[in-house]
Amino acid sequence: MTKRKLVIALAGNANVGKSVIFNYLTGLHQHIGNWPGKTVERAEGTLHFKGYTIDIVDLPGIYSLSTYSLEELVSRKYIAVERPDVVINVIDASVLERNLFFTLQLIELEAPMIIALNQMDIAKKKGIEIDTEKLEKLLEIPVIPTVAIKGIGIFRLLEKAVEIIEKGRMAKHVEVKYGEEVEERIAKITKMIGEIQFWYPPRYVAVKLLEDDEEIAREVNRIDPQIASTAKKLANEIENLHGHSCSTVITSERYEAAGRITREAQKLVSPIKPPIEERIHTLTTHKIIGYPIMAFSLLLMFYSIFTFGDYASELLNNFFYGWEPLFASLFGTGIVGKLVWGGIIEGVLAGVTIALPYIVPFYLILYFLENSGYLSRIAFLMDNAMHKIGLHGKAFIPVMLGYGCNVPACLGCRIMETERERLLAAFVTTLVPCAARTVIILGLVGRFIGIQWALMLYVLDLLIIFALGRLAFRTLPGEPTALIMEMHDYRLPHLKTVLKQTWFRVAEFIKIAFPLIIVGSLAIKFAEVLGLLEPIAIVLSPVTVIWLGLPVIIGIALIFGVLRKELALIMLATLLGTTNFAQVLTPVQMVVFTLVAMFYIPCIATIAALVREFGWKKALFITVFEIVFAISLGGVALRVLALTA
Amino acid sequence: MESRSSKELEVPLTALRDGETGILTSIKAGPGRGRGKGWGFEKRLMDMGLTPGTRVTVVKSAPFHGPLEILVRGSRLSLGRGMAERIFVEIEKE
Repeated sequence: MTKRKLVIALAGNANVGKSVIFNYLTGLHQHIGNWPGKTVERAEGTLHFKGYTIDIVDLPGIYSLSTYSLEELVSRKYIAVERPDVVINVIDASVLERNLFFTLQLIELEAPMIIALNQMDIAKKKGIEIDTEKLEKLLEIPVIPTVAIKGIGIFRLLEKAVEIIEKGRMAKHVEVKYGEEVEERIAKITKMIGEIQFWYPPRYVAVKLLEDDEEIAREVNRIDPQIASTAKKLANEIENLHGHSCSTVITSERYEAAGRITREAQKLVSPIKPPIEERIHTLTTHKIIGYPIMAFSLLLMFYSIFTFGDYASELLNNFFYGWEPLFASLFGTGIVGKLVWGGIIEGVLAGVTIALPYIVPFYLILYFLENSGYLSRIAFLMDNAMHKIGLHGKAFIPVMLGYGCNVPACLGCRIMETERERLLAAFVTTLVPCAARTVIILGLVGRFIGIQWALMLYVLDLLIIFALGRLAFRTLPGEPTALIMEMHDYRLPHLKTVLKQTWFRVAEFIKIAFPLIIVGSLAIKFAEVLGLLEPIAIVLSPVTVIWLGLPVIIGIALIFGVLRKELALIMLATLLGTTNFAQVLTPVQMVVFTLVAMFYIPCIATIAALVREFGWKKALFITVFEIVFAISLGGVALRVLALTA
Repeated sequence: MESRSSKELEVPLTALRDGETGILTSIKAGPGRGRGKGWGFEKRLMDMGLTPGTRVTVVKSAPFHGPLEILVRGSRLSLGRGMAERIFVEIEKE
């Protein structure tokens, strides 16, 4: 009986065009979720081919199968435990040696595999010629040359994958050979492992034990401490022989093997044309010119997003609110009508008028920049600045995202390597004034007091981010990691891939943010209908009136602001009965209100994102901390401003 | 973990001028706190191709003691300065 359902995994380094291949193969039949219990993304898709239903699993882009990051651990376990029918190892032909280093590790995992030798066009441009047949022979693995962004070779890749599976499990491919003194010891451990049950192949376990792999050492130690201690002893022997740690020796020898294969299979000729990518790289990472280019690009990006967003958001609002009279005539203006319109529909509208006009263009531009390679240059330029708050250059990307919306920013913190840095980066991004907070800053302080005051608030915000970021960095246990990041060659992004990535991100945003926005909006509407808002405002008055010196009614505005920050301003206008805030608020009150609104809580959608990424406890902690902080800050600001006024 | 090469020639990667190439001799990591150290740091560098004996070219560094841009095994990496300070190389003589 033929097996009609197949599983193919895509594995490879980051930026090798894996996601382009994934998109070619699966189209829109994709599902993006998380690996169980991990904040590592799992992308899956299905396709039908030659009567098979094929499940494609896109593993995260990684450089090794060690335990440096969660991504590596997840990938390794997946391949060893869930055993996909075949692994397609996507490699970048223009950086063959480093990619083969990863290939050799897949081989050690004894996964049935084929190779997609991608970016053949870029390699050619750089003057690198690869003899695929020779490579195939050296690795004893089928190699299919591809140019994924043009769709070249994808069909053959799929054909080959199915062919390999139909032929049954492949004969064992080439073995990675280490030096004699290492091999001897590998053999000893392999023999011992062979006698116990383990989900990784015995030889692989032996090698990893010698490499001092945390996960495997722990597991082996649980089963048979004897093996673990023997391995440790043998590793020490190798260390003494070589004068380097055993893990260094093994990694070096594996790289040497990759280097040998590379030298045999690849020929270097002079590049076809002077690469313009190289010149763009030099300019965009330039000590001096690099920064204005970055500032200009980012300003342009935000300017166009906000201009477009404003316009589109108003259009959408007008369109939707045009239906309100019709709705009222259907459901009436009684309690039910109010709840349904004010609670559910307005909640949805709030989401839609943020998601579509702002989030969509935001992600589009972001993915365009990422796939082109520019984001890694920005991280290079900003590394030093981010170190001041204990993060490295990559963290600038979620922080930058935060200026648009904190929700994608929190999710974007996944690019950080350790759990600690993810949390730290997420905390910092919740302090970044997002688009909604910008509306308050500019709409209240900027308009009624003066633009220089609005700018001062931005500067103050940067200082606070710096101070709190540093504080969090000092208090959180653990150590900072430094930047190690590849800057791949600039290239034109693949439009369809960018569009799909955007689409899935927006869908994710909707999934996370909408339920809570609707529930929250319903709850507040409920309180309003029941006449609970004013009593709540009075309960809050010791804080709002006495400590912050604001009108009682502002408590209600702040409650609405939890849904989305700019609602605080809109509600303020409604409650005070005027949009000319100068008539009802003193300049000091405006500044205090804005300060509180900027910091007092991440909005409900951001809280949802925090919960999803870090769990209830940490999300709650950040929320409570920021409420207390904002209120303290507002009160202090009131007193300081009163002194100077 | 001492390398056998002569001490005078062994310098941290950060001592290389823009455009200079060195042969990696050792990575000084080990347990302890501080910038650039930390979990799996040495392993990570090696996984990216920075193993002893490898040629490393420093292209440039970002201003204000920013990260280094290096070329290693045909790929371009950016490397935090704290890390680069712990990578030792022998300067290649022309």
